[in-house]
Amino acid sequence: MKYLGPLAKDNPVLVQVLGVCSALAVTAQLKPAVVMALSVTVVCALSNLIISLMRSTIPPRIRIIVQLLVVSTLVIVVDQFLQAYLYEVSKMLSVFVGLIITNCIIMGRLEAFALSHGPLPSLIDGVMNGLGYGLVLVVVGTFRELFGTGTLWNFPVLPHSFYEAGYMNNGLMILPPMALILVGSLIWILNSAKKSVK
Amino acid sequence: MKTFSNKYIFVYVSVLVLVVAVLLTAVSLGLKPRQEANRKAEKAAQILRAAGYHDVDGSEAVALFEQVAQRASGDGERETYHIRCADGENGLVVYVNGKGLWGAIWGYVVLAEDLNTVKGIVFSHKSETPGLGANITEEKFSSAFVGKKLYDEKGNFVSVRVLKAGQGSDVPDVHRVDAISGATLTSKGVDAMLMESLPEVIAKLKTVNKK
Repeated sequence: MKYLGPLAKDNPVLVQVLGVCSALAVTAQLKPAVVMALSVTVVCALSNLIISLMRSTIPPRIRIIVQLLVVSTLVIVVDQFLQAYLYEVSKMLSVFVGLIITNCIIMGRLEAFALSHGPLPSLIDGVMNGLGYGLVLVVVGTFRELFGTGTLWNFPVLPHSFYEAGYMNNGLMILPPMALILVGSLIWILNSAKKSVK
Repeated sequence: MKTFSNKYIFVYVSVLVLVVAVLLTAVSLGLKPRQEANRKAEKAAQILRAAGYHDVDGSEAVALFEQVAQRASGDGERETYHIRCADGENGLVVYVNGKGLWGAIWGYVVLAEDLNTVKGIVFSHKSETPGLGANITEEKFSSAFVGKKLYDEKGNFVSVRVLKAGQGSDVPDVHRVDAISGATLTSKGVDAMLMESLPEVIAKLKTVNKK
């Protein structure tokens, strides 16, 4: 149970407000959002695991450099796999896969958790934080694709009769500012929910 | 906290970097064939789109491309091709590249055999703004180029200019298409790209043809 925090009450995006840059950039459609979420989850989980395994051998003076080395290696591997197996999506994500290296969630978990915990808890912590980030991406991506282009996962879901009746896609949805507004709204909802619990 | 000697740190980092280097090399070499196949298929699909074949992707595109296109000259991305277009006529595919607002833009132009009429065009970009500059990849923009001429009646190169309505009113309709509103700099990039790249490639094609 104690590991479930990152999904809601310690959510890395909504509560810690980390990793927002990529959350805004890749959520215009659901598919890249999901691929990005999975990529970050994989990198976060594996880097947590590896750093945790190495933690007693890492000289503290160069620990950030070692962390960066591990994270960037993983990110490059993920990027290469995307280019080989999910070429279209990797083009949509473009620089944002590479920028996972500087995603504060990952460095944050390494410093705050992996350096002082065993491999298994670190792995779980990494997965949960990746999923917490991913959850926000999927929610925002769903809203933006549905209302911005009328599709989900590139399949049209809004019936033609809607458009015939004068419904129009909201062009603002696919631009980054709308992602910021949506993330802001999620933070708002989460915060008011928390208060009512108190 | 444990302390580590400088020697330990140097050895530690060296070993780590070595391990990472070997790992990345292995991954990169192992995945290279697939990545190159992807790039080839994408290029084939783009050129086919410019030549009027729609909705072909992946290995299908590569197969069709080999069927209808034939290398004319050049190497790497600068290659030119003879192609049988979807309408049955022959055309020549040339590659153009230039600068957009944020990064590189490039495209393939299908010219009719007179090396003057544009039969089709397709653009790509590295990082233009989604919804604005990135719209150069859309059919709506590229289809406007179809049928435009590169040379005026006297045989001078004018290119197909990408201009806003009211701009360059001396440029006749047959040499201009409308720029994308909200994407002035990307449109200017496309304009400059065609202006600068095309005369050079066409001159080369003409000398090849004479031989």
